[in-house]
Amino acid sequence: MLTIKNLQAKVEEKDILKGLDLEIKPGEIHAIMGPNGAGKSTLGNVLSGREGYEVTGGDVSFDGKDILDMDTEERAREGLFLAFQYPVEIPGVSNLEFLKASVDSVREHRGEEPMDSVTFLKLAREKCKAVNLDQNFLKRGVNEGFSGGEKKRNEIMQMMLLEPKLCILDETDSGLDIDALQVVAEGVNSQRDPNRSFIVVTHYQRLLDYIVPDYVHVLADGKIVKSGGKELALELEEKGYGWLENGGQ
Amino acid sequence: MGAINFNEQAIAFADAAEKANFLSGLQQTGLAQFKTLPFPTRKTEDWKYTSLFALTKQDYNQAVQSADVAGLNGLYDVEGLGANRIVFVNGVYQAQASNLDAQAGVLVETFLNASADLQADIAKQVGTIAETGRNLFTALNNAQVNDGVFIKLEKNVQLEKPIQIVHVTTAQQKSATAFARCFIELGQHANATVIEQFVSTDETQNVLLNQTTEASVGDGAKLNHYRLNSEHESSLHFGGVYVDLNRDSQFESYQVLLGGQIKRLDVLVNHNVGGSHCEMKGVYLPKHDQHVDIHTYIEHKAAHCTTNEVYRGIMADQSKAVFNGRIHILPDAQKTLAELSNKNLLLSDKAQINTKPELEIYADDVRCAHGATVAQLNETAKFYLRSRGISAQEADIMLSFGFINELLESIPLDALRTKMRPLMAEQFSSNRELTKHLLDSDVSEVAASGETA
Amino acid sequence: MSEKTNQQIVEESNQELNEYIKSDYEAGFVTDIEADTLPPGLNEDVVRFISAKKGEPEWLLEWRLKAFAAWSEMDEPEWAHVTYEKPKFQDISYYSAPKSMEDGPQSLDEVDPELLKTYEKLGIPLHEQAVLAGVRNVAVDVVFDSVSVATTFREKLKEAGVIFMPISEAVHEHPELLKKYMGSVVPQKDNFYAALNSAVFSDGSFVYIPKGVRCPMELSTYFRINEQNTGQFERTIIIADEGSHVSYLEGCTAPMRDENQLHAAVVELVALDGAEIKYSTVQNWYPGDENGKGGIYNFVTKRAVAHTNAKVSWTQVETGSAVTWKYPSCILKGDNSIGEFYSVALTNNYQQADTGTKMIHLGKNTKSTIISKGISAGKSQNAYRGLVRMNPSAEGARNFTQCDSLLIGDKCGAHTFPYIESKHPSAVIEHEATTSTVSDDQMFLCQQRGIDPEKAVSMIVNGFCKEVFKELPMEFAVEAGKLLEVSLEGSVG
Repeated sequence: MLTIKNLQAKVEEKDILKGLDLEIKPGEIHAIMGPNGAGKSTLGNVLSGREGYEVTGGDVSFDGKDILDMDTEERAREGLFLAFQYPVEIPGVSNLEFLKASVDSVREHRGEEPMDSVTFLKLAREKCKAVNLDQNFLKRGVNEGFSGGEKKRNEIMQMMLLEPKLCILDETDSGLDIDALQVVAEGVNSQRDPNRSFIVVTHYQRLLDYIVPDYVHVLADGKIVKSGGKELALELEEKGYGWLENGGQ
Repeated sequence: MGAINFNEQAIAFADAAEKANFLSGLQQTGLAQFKTLPFPTRKTEDWKYTSLFALTKQDYNQAVQSADVAGLNGLYDVEGLGANRIVFVNGVYQAQASNLDAQAGVLVETFLNASADLQADIAKQVGTIAETGRNLFTALNNAQVNDGVFIKLEKNVQLEKPIQIVHVTTAQQKSATAFARCFIELGQHANATVIEQFVSTDETQNVLLNQTTEASVGDGAKLNHYRLNSEHESSLHFGGVYVDLNRDSQFESYQVLLGGQIKRLDVLVNHNVGGSHCEMKGVYLPKHDQHVDIHTYIEHKAAHCTTNEVYRGIMADQSKAVFNGRIHILPDAQKTLAELSNKNLLLSDKAQINTKPELEIYADDVRCAHGATVAQLNETAKFYLRSRGISAQEADIMLSFGFINELLESIPLDALRTKMRPLMAEQFSSNRELTKHLLDSDVSEVAASGETA
Repeated sequence: MSEKTNQQIVEESNQELNEYIKSDYEAGFVTDIEADTLPPGLNEDVVRFISAKKGEPEWLLEWRLKAFAAWSEMDEPEWAHVTYEKPKFQDISYYSAPKSMEDGPQSLDEVDPELLKTYEKLGIPLHEQAVLAGVRNVAVDVVFDSVSVATTFREKLKEAGVIFMPISEAVHEHPELLKKYMGSVVPQKDNFYAALNSAVFSDGSFVYIPKGVRCPMELSTYFRINEQNTGQFERTIIIADEGSHVSYLEGCTAPMRDENQLHAAVVELVALDGAEIKYSTVQNWYPGDENGKGGIYNFVTKRAVAHTNAKVSWTQVETGSAVTWKYPSCILKGDNSIGEFYSVALTNNYQQADTGTKMIHLGKNTKSTIISKGISAGKSQNAYRGLVRMNPSAEGARNFTQCDSLLIGDKCGAHTFPYIESKHPSAVIEHEATTSTVSDDQMFLCQQRGIDPEKAVSMIVNGFCKEVFKELPMEFAVEAGKLLEVSLEGSVG
């Protein structure tokens, strides 16, 4: 599904990713953990092709295609979804318009007919319900005036609608209380599918109690310094990251 | 062709024009006032950013000839509006295109068709609210006043159907000026909706429309006012709206100004007696070489009055916009609450905005705020849309539309909103493929109404 | 709980304070000193006289005459939101100097003791020893009517390579610098008052900070108008060469007189690449009495040019003058240059102020910040007038403006006239303005927490001005706070 080889990237002339390797097969959930400033968020942004994140070396192949030369939207249409750490507010653009435009573009890319409005509305309402988001949110501006938890649930709702192949959850757990965290995790788990993979970027092990990963990787100083099963997360929770960083040197 | 002396020609034109006799008093004082006003230059504060060079290049001080008035209704029909309609083409009343249902306590009549008694009443009222000191075009409108619409609602009368006043301009053999006028008088606790709609044929325009509206809103009365300009981009429009608010009265106004060669609108609202409220919302969307200039003057003369003014503009291509919003609070206007917000988006390197939100305050117990911003499209928001698979072009359009959508959605009349939405979307792109998500009526209607359950 | 109503308490304190404020304008005394004063009137000969008196070279006389010719053709500006009786330019004397200065005293010991006493009374130390013993570490140039009477710490500054001297001396000692920069920021014909100043300017301070030098102490000019029927027309030129840094303070006072006196200064700042100039003003010219009689007309042109990566910061506390017309401006010419304007303008009684700033963005990624706090009391009128212009070259430029007005009493006025012009789509401009009053609710809350009304007002007003005061050098901030208290406290109602 996703093969990352020796990925190097810089932001504002500063090297952040320094040779990252990762292989993700369909249906797998990979957790990426690491200390602040390790490059966790950079990975999601680089994979999504955000401006300002310059790839200086390495290859990324997604579903057999080299995506590094693709525009952000092309990658999205190919099935790559990034749930933002800080969802953006767009006053004036309603969630519904936004979502319909998004779903249509992805469907068109897949060669599917655009969804008719009635079906779409039904679907959108259903997904709202699934993440415990009031239906009113559909008509409000995108994330406009949403609380932190609402914004994160809105992200998961979008993920459900778009049915991507690869979902990157960038610190989706940050700022969530335990109830909201469970709702988000349930949403994610409901989307688990043999053909869909997840990269769960998080600073805390807590999320991984609810979204159980197949693999856990530790990202430090721009590289994966240790990989293991889900028990690695518990070990990290207990010992912190210090022992790994030191061990890595 | 040498430069034209606009003022001299305007005076000659006014002297020669045939006008309604019963308004001669206003015509004479208007002309006298016009003679004292110089032709605006860059140094004229109220015209600092708007060049009237076009008026010295071509002779607009000529009467309109005639127009083929058949088959124009497609330009102004608003589906589902169910309004009483009065149509003027190049300033000339078109009886056959107009329809007026009678309602008790409601008087709607054109100046020239009015009875002698009513004409005497009209002559007493017209010109009493409009101010001419700042705007020579209003002085000129007084000087040339001839036909117009007179609307009067008796005490406690609620207007059943909105009144739609349409002004159509068409291309003429020679360039010309058309004058139009409107006077609205609402009795105590009356309530009316008046839509002033400005359209043109889809051809290069050479008729300058000079239009002035006056409104007197009685105690506890409410005037819902719309002013929608969507003429051809070559149009010239000089408009004035002058409103007197009495005790506890309300003026709610929505203005949409798509661009024109020169489009200038002055709005003056007088809070004359305590407790009145003014709510004004406006959108201006110039593109290409268009120029839009809006000057609003809110005069707080009495205590406990409130004003909320929100204007948003998006300037594309080489277009220019001017927004000057003045809130003036006089010594007696204690406990005033006034807010003015003006936000602008510049879409191109060559577009310009000049904004000046002014507060002039002479009372102490007031709360006033104004804010103005100028920016371009938010790159982060754009990235967010693109990361969801929306093309960069469509993202631009969606974000631009989002910038004004809030104001559009606040228009209470569904039919007008539905009419304006595609007109505004087309401002951003004539490619329907790119605006289809904005215009998907099912989605947008639900988005607007909130009927999601 | 007190039996008095909130309103009563406020009124009482108001009365007390009114008595307090009626106390003398402390700087309002006259120095009895023999002066050499030119008879009133202005013509080419007066310009020649001033130039000759200062032994100026031919080029400078020509420069003045050119300005005079331009001024003669100009009209006095009328767009400001002030009304006043226009100065009668032929009734003003354009040159006045203490007689004792004729021979040019070589050191402070030779300066007329009457003069020294004047400054002692004003709290301006001219003796370096006294200065060193005290807390100040400030070099001062003192301008009395038309001439500079003393400049302290010149030797110490010289060691650092800093030039700080009266313009009248710079003409002879650094003609090349003066020739290059004078009029380069504010041209002779810039406006009516700048032209007048260019023709008849008497003296002023000249500062040059060499490349890479951080000026070792604060520099300061203290302006004093003493003689009757005179105008003061000084110029200040500050050049901060590449990578240098200087902080400059300016203070002003004048005696209480029934006539209006004219002060028309020009200040030019040049911040070359990477340089930083911080210019602070505490303006306390005589504001006139409570009936609006007398006071200074303060018509000043202040402008700075910031080159690449340079920063210019204007901070002003304006409490004096009958009429103020002043817009310290920044031309952000170089890429990444920064302009700042922090202002507190207080008007009371019949004072009128029309003040603000202009930020002209030319370079890429230029940034400007405007924080303006206007306080109006009594029957005064206080206007903010500002221009933010983003030129077509100002890619990525940003401006933030916050402009707040506080009204005290019901007979004053506060006005805001911001002009915002943008010709570049990537420029971001934010303007916010509010007008409010010291509300009953605020007063009640403070009192309910045990704070007396006087203190509450002072807290509210100081809180209102805090953002600006923190930009002032420490001692000026204290002085400014005191000034405000004196000028303000009386007017709460």
